[in-house]
Amino acid sequence: MILAVLFSNSEGNILVERFHGVPSEERLHWRSFLVKLGADNLKGAKNEELFVASHKSVYIVYTVLGDVCIYVVGKDDYDELALSEVIFVITSAVKDVCGKPPTERLFLDKYGRICLCLDEIVWKGMLENTEKDRIKRLIRLKPPTDV
Amino acid sequence: MQDASGTTLMDLITADPTAPPPSTSGTSPSTLGKPAQKPVQTERRTKKGTLMQIQSDTIAVAKALNPVRANIRTQKQKRKPVSYAQLARSIHELSAASDQKSSQKQLVNHVFPKLAVYNSVDPSVAPSLLMLDQQCEDRNVLRYVYYYLARILSDTGSQGLSPGGGIPTPNWDALADIDAVGGVTRADVVPRIVNQLTTEASNADIEFHARRIAALKALTAAPSSNSEILAKLYEIVFGILDKVADANQKRRKGMFGKGGDKESIIRSNLQYAALTALRRLPLDPGNPVFLHRAVQGVSFADPVAVRHSLAIISELATKDPYSVAMALGKLVLPGGALQDILHLHDVLARVSLARLCHTISRARALDERPDIKSQFSSVLYQLLLDPSERVCFEAILCVLGKFDNTERTEERAGGWYRLTREILKLPEVPSVTLKESIDDPKDALPPKSAKDKASHKTRRPQPLVKLVMRRLESSFRSFSRPVLHAAARVVQEMGKSRAAAFSLGVDIDEGAPLHAYSETVESVDQDINETSEGSRKGFLLSNGMGGKDTIANLLASLMEVVRTTVACECVYVRGMVIKALIWMQSPYEPFDELESIIASELSDPAWPSTLLNDILLTLHARFKATPDMAVTLLEIARIFATKVPGKIDADVLQLLWKTCLVGAGPDGKHTALEAVTIVLDLPPPQPGTMSGLTSVDRVSASDPKSALALQRLVQAAVWFLGENANYAASEYAWESATPPGTALMMLDADKMVAAASSRNPTLAGALTRLQRCAFSGSWEVRIVAAQALTTMAIRSGEPFRLQIYEFLHALAQGGMQSQFSEIHLSNGEDQGASGTGLGSLIAPMLKVLDEMYRAQDDLIREMRNHDNAKKEWTDDELKKLYETHEKLLDLVSLFCYVPRAKYLPLGPISAKLIDIYRTRHNISASAGLNDIAVATGISDLVYESNATPEKDPDELDQDLVNAWAANLGDDGLWGNNAPAMNRVNEFLAGAGTDAPDVEEENFTSRASVSYDDMWAKTLLETTEVEEYDARSSGTSSPESTGSVETSISSHFGGSYPSLFSSRPTTYGASQSSERSGAAGSRFSNPGGSSSTFEGVGSPIREEPPSYEASVMQRFESFENPMAARGAPSFGSQDDEEPISSDNQQFGKALYDFTAGGDDELNLTAGEELEIDYEVDGWFYHFHCHVIIVLMYPSYVALCSVVLSGLSLHSQHSVPSNLCWSPGSNFLA
Repeated sequence: MILAVLFSNSEGNILVERFHGVPSEERLHWRSFLVKLGADNLKGAKNEELFVASHKSVYIVYTVLGDVCIYVVGKDDYDELALSEVIFVITSAVKDVCGKPPTERLFLDKYGRICLCLDEIVWKGMLENTEKDRIKRLIRLKPPTDV
Repeated sequence: MQDASGTTLMDLITADPTAPPPSTSGTSPSTLGKPAQKPVQTERRTKKGTLMQIQSDTIAVAKALNPVRANIRTQKQKRKPVSYAQLARSIHELSAASDQKSSQKQLVNHVFPKLAVYNSVDPSVAPSLLMLDQQCEDRNVLRYVYYYLARILSDTGSQGLSPGGGIPTPNWDALADIDAVGGVTRADVVPRIVNQLTTEASNADIEFHARRIAALKALTAAPSSNSEILAKLYEIVFGILDKVADANQKRRKGMFGKGGDKESIIRSNLQYAALTALRRLPLDPGNPVFLHRAVQGVSFADPVAVRHSLAIISELATKDPYSVAMALGKLVLPGGALQDILHLHDVLARVSLARLCHTISRARALDERPDIKSQFSSVLYQLLLDPSERVCFEAILCVLGKFDNTERTEERAGGWYRLTREILKLPEVPSVTLKESIDDPKDALPPKSAKDKASHKTRRPQPLVKLVMRRLESSFRSFSRPVLHAAARVVQEMGKSRAAAFSLGVDIDEGAPLHAYSETVESVDQDINETSEGSRKGFLLSNGMGGKDTIANLLASLMEVVRTTVACECVYVRGMVIKALIWMQSPYEPFDELESIIASELSDPAWPSTLLNDILLTLHARFKATPDMAVTLLEIARIFATKVPGKIDADVLQLLWKTCLVGAGPDGKHTALEAVTIVLDLPPPQPGTMSGLTSVDRVSASDPKSALALQRLVQAAVWFLGENANYAASEYAWESATPPGTALMMLDADKMVAAASSRNPTLAGALTRLQRCAFSGSWEVRIVAAQALTTMAIRSGEPFRLQIYEFLHALAQGGMQSQFSEIHLSNGEDQGASGTGLGSLIAPMLKVLDEMYRAQDDLIREMRNHDNAKKEWTDDELKKLYETHEKLLDLVSLFCYVPRAKYLPLGPISAKLIDIYRTRHNISASAGLNDIAVATGISDLVYESNATPEKDPDELDQDLVNAWAANLGDDGLWGNNAPAMNRVNEFLAGAGTDAPDVEEENFTSRASVSYDDMWAKTLLETTEVEEYDARSSGTSSPESTGSVETSISSHFGGSYPSLFSSRPTTYGASQSSERSGAAGSRFSNPGGSSSTFEGVGSPIREEPPSYEASVMQRFESFENPMAARGAPSFGSQDDEEPISSDNQQFGKALYDFTAGGDDELNLTAGEELEIDYEVDGWFYHFHCHVIIVLMYPSYVALCSVVLSGLSLHSQHSVPSNLCWSPGSNFLA
């Protein structure tokens, strides 16, 4: 289960978040934990360099892409390696939508499409589509495989 | 959410990127999520007014279908951020706009993206969305429409919180209810949305199929609690699959090549849509159609569909492996669909395949079909070669028997066995039987086809263990942190399986060469034989390591790599590596290396406390798996206690101490106790200065928080020592072979110590440590040490009890202060006039012991009398004896747990008489309800009272320990109120998705019960809160000596009376003899005195003053049971009332005493003074009262009177400087 996908800017403000199966009272904790994790570790990190953390049975993989920090939290099947796959798909999609590792401005400009992409990548706590082209088609309401 | 220029998220997503409007940057939500409250505030500030207004406006506008496009432009021109209300209104307007193209452009570029920022979508937007859905042609608009419809469906409607997150929005439904006129609730729109989406999802029009897929997906967003929608979804999904699943599969060609005919592509798309929806639906294990469709999915062309279908099947397999295996049938055979998945470019599909293969290959239901099982394990083993670490690791975990967190030990042990014994043989053509190769491994022709051989030329059958070790080693060389973390985790799981195998005694010789196993394993490959030296024994499966390949070697080499990974800069990777090392540590190997790794790691301040606690919990789990490791684990735990006391959960650590002590077994108990109490050998913690004398250097040198934590840990260790020393030493009063013989008791102190240590070194050692703590520890530690000593005194037989008794007495009067003065000074505390400061604390403890000794003496005397007179004990006498026994039991139970059925406060000699009385009156020995501790609920406050039953040696045989160790927490020994049990159990169960705490935990605010608290709760009843506060204020304000002393005196001055005054019937009142009545009365200070204490405004003056000097001697008479026989006792006169003046008593000062204040009295040794009356230990002269501290044994005829409580004199307005000791007329 992918418990959360979260985007924040470099100052730790949250830009996008998707939770699944996390009680609402826990979300605030997760937000602060993730943002602190990023603040502690992501300074000076290279784009798409993967970081890992774990807590109890939950895994966290996070990275930085341009001005944006991306966090993915999962458990069970979605261990640190599966989450690496997830985060890889997400970063490729974001890069694809923005054309490059986004600045915060660019990210916000493309906010809507990024949300649609995220919808195609993670759906109800599970990884859905992974191929870039396929995601691109789906956010334009084209079938996954072109006729 | 402000960027550098002070703009907000909402500003940024407005059309104008350059000019952020200052009007909102201050008030608009600062984030989408993080400080969630703030946005709520700002958003809700206007909620009631503005939003309702805007909403009704919006609806009115929408109803009028009045396209006012200018609005948006106006806003843009004004460069205002777009509020939710404006966006909603725009949707209404644009959906009804006549200029479709322009409005669609606006929707896609401006309105929809900005609306995405919000947490939820107002249901009143739904009609417009549906209108767009029906009328709009633009795919981009429609995609957003499906996105928002899905969000409305998924919104649970509670406080506008949807899983999507974002800027908080109001509870639309609540808002709509308020708005009586035009409110639209979810209940209004959801059926319409569902209908619309259902219609679209059922539309078989080929041209429509993209929308059909999107509609179906949106429909699955509905919460699974909605059975109506679920039923519709099942219907649609199976409807689609009925049409597309059965068609002949044009396997994968269409997928990989871009070719593929239109029909098959559409079919594949629909298959994908159906399976992706099915994956989100609840499983239907008993439904053959469900299984059938899922199995069909394995052969679908779309990789995502295949992944989902495998995930469904592998989940179904856990419930019904037989049906799944039957349904999969030939798919698993070479050339079958499952084999194809090995090469499918979808990692999670292969992961699901691994899990599926594991489930089926291990299913009991398929025991009669070994062929099927071996086919699936063969696929599983092949996945060990998977290029993806995720898949390979999953396969390793499956082989190791790790599936979820519910595996039994046997499964894990079997996993280790499999890993070390099995051999991976690459797939062969189906015609080859394994038997052939075994029968004649040398001569049999290679069963592979030439092509196979060519393709696998370099791959030889490999022992799994070697394959796995090599793979892990190479993973540990990766630069990716997730890979390192995962690899360490796999090693950890390997350690778990290995530990399980050891614990079950699975015979695996890790030192044996690997090829030896090949003889027993079925798969032997011709290739190998060709390269062998002609003899079966000579051939090697290794690729160059020669005959040295043993499991031990492989493990050693792997662990070498694992250890180097500790150098990783990621603390979580390091944490996982340490866990792996802990799990791979064998109980029979030295653990110095592990210890030093952990010690050096913990010196790094970067470790978050949650991670450290995780490792601590790992020690728990390790212990559970291998109780033999108790001592090793305790040694490791000690590093945590000393290096990072402020970061670890003290409760979990203490639980570990306890579990390990119990698990250490008879031989290891002493070592285990030593390992725990080594904490006490640390330099004294600095809990903040208590006085000016405290070394400033020390305090400044240490982080106050960890110093405080360390102190708490020391307290805990002291408490632990007191609580468990008897268990560790196997010394129990109720098991004691030697009765408290008079000869022993007459020994002088030195001889007593010698006797004690020769009799039981463990206990004597613990005693020495505690004695040192009682003198040299900080105030808090001394309190606990005194308590611990009392516990030991109560539980131990002689000579320990007597030794402790004497020590406590000395402690109470501070008489030995001078001997320990150096230690005292080193502690840096100014004892001032307070002596050890423990006098009033120890008094009740001493009195318990007094009572017991006195009663024992009485009993001996009575028995002698009976023997001399040669008469039987009458029932009345027995009754009296039994009542004394019970009373003492009650009293003792207040201080610590003792097994009521066995404990004999009157000494072993009383056993027979008590037993006679019990038998005669049919009294059950276990009178749980009569246990005063139980009755008053004290046992609920002190969890060790629930935990101690295992201390009873009769109940504690090795089997029990093992059983208990294997079922930690399941046997109720620990009860549910052990504060750490839940944490440990949760950890062992692998549960927990709650976020770690971000703030460095302020452990003082932790809800668990500290030992101080327990102390306070045990002793204090009505005033515990104030008392606790007072005390903690003392410890936390380093400068205020006064406040410390205040707290000391108010703590114990208040508690001492309240403990006993609340149950006066416990003691003196029911004492049968006059003398014991007097002694009993000393236990119960009048309640008035307690309340007076609290009422006094200047508690500093209540402080027990000048124990060092205020010692007076009185000739002991009423304290000596032998001497007091027949003598009138002043104490017998009355509990509460002053003794009448005609009954004069005198006391004699033992030492010189210099008055410390106006209301004290100068005394010279030997001076006799008259005592007016005595009430419960307070001796009055002209209403001046004096607390008495008694020292036993009475043979010494020593009694001291301590001046105390003089501040109370003012109440009586008698400015007396007199202090009296009991009179000489009571001399023996």
